[in-house]
Amino acid sequence: MGNMGFLSIDVTTIIGTLLNTLILFLVIRKFLFGRVNAILEERQKYVETTYEEADNAKAEAAALEEEYTKKLQTAKEESAEIVRNATQKANIRSEEIISAAKTEAAGIISKANEDIEREKKHALNQIKDEISDIAIAVATKVVEKEISEKDNEKLISDFIANVGEL
Amino acid sequence: MGTGPGAFGGVNGPSIIFQFDNVPLFGTIYITETLVIGWIIVAALSALVLWLTHGMKRIPTKKQVIAEMLVTTVNNMVRDNMGPRFVKGYAPYIATLFSFSIVGSLVSLLGLRSMTADVNATLAWGLICFVMITYSKFKYGGGLKGYIKGFAEPLPVMFPMNVLSEFVTPISMGFRHFGNIAGGMVITGLIYWALANLSHALHLYFTVGEFSLGVLQVGIPAVLSVYFDLFSGFMQAFIFSMLTMANVGNCIPDDKR
Repeated sequence: MGNMGFLSIDVTTIIGTLLNTLILFLVIRKFLFGRVNAILEERQKYVETTYEEADNAKAEAAALEEEYTKKLQTAKEESAEIVRNATQKANIRSEEIISAAKTEAAGIISKANEDIEREKKHALNQIKDEISDIAIAVATKVVEKEISEKDNEKLISDFIANVGEL
Repeated sequence: MGTGPGAFGGVNGPSIIFQFDNVPLFGTIYITETLVIGWIIVAALSALVLWLTHGMKRIPTKKQVIAEMLVTTVNNMVRDNMGPRFVKGYAPYIATLFSFSIVGSLVSLLGLRSMTADVNATLAWGLICFVMITYSKFKYGGGLKGYIKGFAEPLPVMFPMNVLSEFVTPISMGFRHFGNIAGGMVITGLIYWALANLSHALHLYFTVGEFSLGVLQVGIPAVLSVYFDLFSGFMQAFIFSMLTMANVGNCIPDDKR
């Protein structure tokens, strides 16, 4: 068929090359750049969301940690408070018990003292009675003399008063 | 030259594949090798693109990594040379230009005639660049008035020279690309022819019927073709893309980039 000239300008070839370039351009734009740019964008968005989610999770974890630390702190304080209260109560109670015991003991002691005193008085009175009886008997036997009831009584009373110094 | 391969047959343009006679308005239309090879390249590159980007996922496969790398490389190149606002519009064209040009040059490795060794092909791309430059000057230079005014800078005396340089830009771009590839083709052809003659002179050749092969023709042209086809083809595609970006980018003021 022959050849074109080495340097001949041919409008058909120019237009044909322009059309070829246009077709290749459209294919490359739609199928190479369109698809790749879309996937790159999608991936970038995905990465961004993933990072955002990770950041959120991290922040949440930090917040939870803080919350738990606070709760733990509060719990520790509460337990310390409880222990302190319990100790205080126990102290108070023990003091109460001790003081009650002391009071009771003091009561028992004073009652015992009273009993002793009463017993002592009772015993003294008994002794006085017995002594007076004995004195009367002794006097009746020894003196054999009629003394009026009144004199007798006075005599005995004097005697007892003297004896009462015991 | 007797039994030898004969004199160097000179340089030919692309061969004519079809011919349509008496087309109204156009006369005779020649469908040349350049166009047919262009169609093959467009088909092959389209198939490659479709295969590379088929079934893309968020977690990429190997071929998807290649596709992504190509796209991001061109995007970055356009961003650096023209500005971030022009990535979306110009990056696909730059990629088209680069791939069409480099494959158009490197088809010579398959024994085909380089598409870019036809001045019409490279001039077509120069024309596209010219249209882009003019469009940008209109858009960012303040319409027709600003466009014409722009030629009178820095001095009104410069007007004719500026107009001339405006038209010379696409022609120089087209001829640079064409000249490098066609020159490489011619040199490769000359060397091949010279080695054939040398082989005949040294009686180092085999002849099978019409076909004759000189021993020296094996291997040596391949080494030279690494420079004239591979390196030159790659360089010219790169230079043409860079010049397109630079020339169009120059028409855009910095604050519009």
